Amino acid sequence: MTQVAAPATVATSFDGVTVEAAAGGPMQLEQRGQELWAEFGDPDDASLASDTRVAPVRPRRIRRQVVMTTGSHNQQIFWYTTGNSRVLGQLPAIWLTAEQTWIPRRAAIMAPPSAAHHSETGAWNGICLSCHATAAQPRFDTPFGSRPIGEQSADSRAVELGIACEACHGPGDTHADANRNPLRRYTLHFTRAADSTIVQPARLDSRRGSQVCGQCHSFWEFANAAAEREANAHGLPYRPGDDLAATRFVVQPTSNLETAAMREFLAADAGFIRDIFWSDGMIRATGREYNGLIESPCFARATAASRTLTCFSCHTMHKADDDPRPLRQWADDQLSPRAIGDAACAACHTMDDAHSHHRAGSSGGSCENCHMPHTTYGLLKTIRSHQISSPSVQATITTGRPNACNLCHLDKTLAWTADRLAEWYGSARPALGADEQSVAASVLWLLKGDAGQRAIIAQAMGWRAAQDASGAGWLAPYLALTQKDQYDAVRLIASRSARTLPPFRRDQLPRGSAALLITSDGTFDAARVNRLVRERNNRPLVYRE
Amino acid sequence: MGPGTTGTVDYAARHLRVGWRALLVFATLGLILESLQGFKVAAYLDVSNETRRLMWRLAHAHGTLLGVINVLFAFTLKSSSSPPPAAPRISIALVAATLLLPLGFFLGGAWFYAGDPGVGVVLVPLGAVALLAALFWIARSTRN
Repeated sequence: MTQVAAPATVATSFDGVTVEAAAGGPMQLEQRGQELWAEFGDPDDASLASDTRVAPVRPRRIRRQVVMTTGSHNQQIFWYTTGNSRVLGQLPAIWLTAEQTWIPRRAAIMAPPSAAHHSETGAWNGICLSCHATAAQPRFDTPFGSRPIGEQSADSRAVELGIACEACHGPGDTHADANRNPLRRYTLHFTRAADSTIVQPARLDSRRGSQVCGQCHSFWEFANAAAEREANAHGLPYRPGDDLAATRFVVQPTSNLETAAMREFLAADAGFIRDIFWSDGMIRATGREYNGLIESPCFARATAASRTLTCFSCHTMHKADDDPRPLRQWADDQLSPRAIGDAACAACHTMDDAHSHHRAGSSGGSCENCHMPHTTYGLLKTIRSHQISSPSVQATITTGRPNACNLCHLDKTLAWTADRLAEWYGSARPALGADEQSVAASVLWLLKGDAGQRAIIAQAMGWRAAQDASGAGWLAPYLALTQKDQYDAVRLIASRSARTLPPFRRDQLPRGSAALLITSDGTFDAARVNRLVRERNNRPLVYRE
Repeated sequence: MGPGTTGTVDYAARHLRVGWRALLVFATLGLILESLQGFKVAAYLDVSNETRRLMWRLAHAHGTLLGVINVLFAFTLKSSSSPPPAAPRISIALVAATLLLPLGFFLGGAWFYAGDPGVGVVLVPLGAVALLAALFWIARSTRN
């Protein structure tokens, strides 16, 4: 949600507040009538280019008016006028909605602590506004990022802040003109005919309809420099109903890894797809759900339009009148009342206990817990993968992606999962190393995994269903260890999960649980824990959230 | 035969009866609408039900106003020595307007399509024509 900043639209008080958790020194907030102001260290001060964590520097202080906010459900980001044309800067701290606290902006991004200081000035104009405003035009004088932001100017414009009608339904002037005629409106009501003057995404074919969402919920790049220049001057050319791929390069390693465009992107940035896709091409960053959808068998292999998974199979952008849930609850994931629980899957699939091998109504018997596990990360939390898949130990071994079984059965090994899948579904048992056979998969990912894997497990440890299935008594020490992680984001998630646990009692540790590295006397096998931590995948990981 | 009576029909009594009953019904509707407001009933107050809210308020307002007009017409008849020759058609038009206008608004709000009232709203222009005709005939009959 993008809003003009005002006392009524900010999620927290600006009235005489000092925020210590801000890069560049404490941030002083001030409310002057309806205006919001902030004094803080200038994120564009050249002295910040050095690594501030090794030798903290105090940038020059600036005082700016806060004019706009983005976000609301998870976090709120604040934008200030820079004094340079319409270029906006971003306050160095953001507000976390659930935690009701400020954190440094940098801590909200999954990025290694060694990452160089990165100013977000101009990011609104050059990047954010294309999806956080409707019919937006960046209008930079030179391509965003081609020169230092202080040397650039922008005359950015948008039809409306936030995602308004025309973002999904296309230009509406013809529609509004035509429907001034009441006879036309009533004829359309009674015949239930499609209104040719406007795009109704749910009436489009499954691909085009989902692309309406995919215009923002996909990982894409400009096909070439000319397309970027055109979008800078006139806005993105895509309109709802168009073929998204006609005007932009939708990055999908499973289908366009070998294209010339992809080779160019990879030549410019070797990490272009590495940190946003699992190695088998499944998207691993939140906000790119279209990439997951189009790889799903329910979409890609569907044989009839009526049985093709689309965004609208589960989600609705307008709360139904007969939806009894409170607005805030619906708005959390904008699920259609027809898609709550297993209902969306049941539209095509027949469910029974024999398939899931879990009790009906239990968390293990839920379609989504097995086929849409929380393996996608963004906004300081994990969300369900939107690529429908089945648990596979082989895929886990190949990609490192935690599987649904071990995300709930946190105390079980990969070997245990391989046995269950072989017994229940005839899956082949892949060759497993000694650790995979003897140590709980969650422990391995938490100790050895990359930052993304650690975030996924840290959140799973706070999941009530997993705690019930795995026992909660042994989780606290591992979450305490994870609260010392190098990555701010991982630490924050671990802290959040730790708050879901009952007070730790050593006598509740499962003594002699080799899989959990707990010895018979109730202590941890320090040697193995330390070895696994030493073997950790410390590859710097930056999610493109 | 008293004032306001033509032949065997006592128009003054008829419109007093219709007027006060309309006032009772539509003042009660007003109380119901106030209650819907007070108890924050979603079917009345949700943003998506704005059309219903408008239509039902119009039904309440028009019904009450037409009740008053009926009473005024009855007193107009009583104050004159003899009813105007147009009294029969005025009476029919006024009673029709009293029924059609608020009923049209009410039905238009009971079932509606996004920003458009339901098809019941077609009763409103019919009622409006009847009201205008009644007012025209009353005005013409009182010119002398």
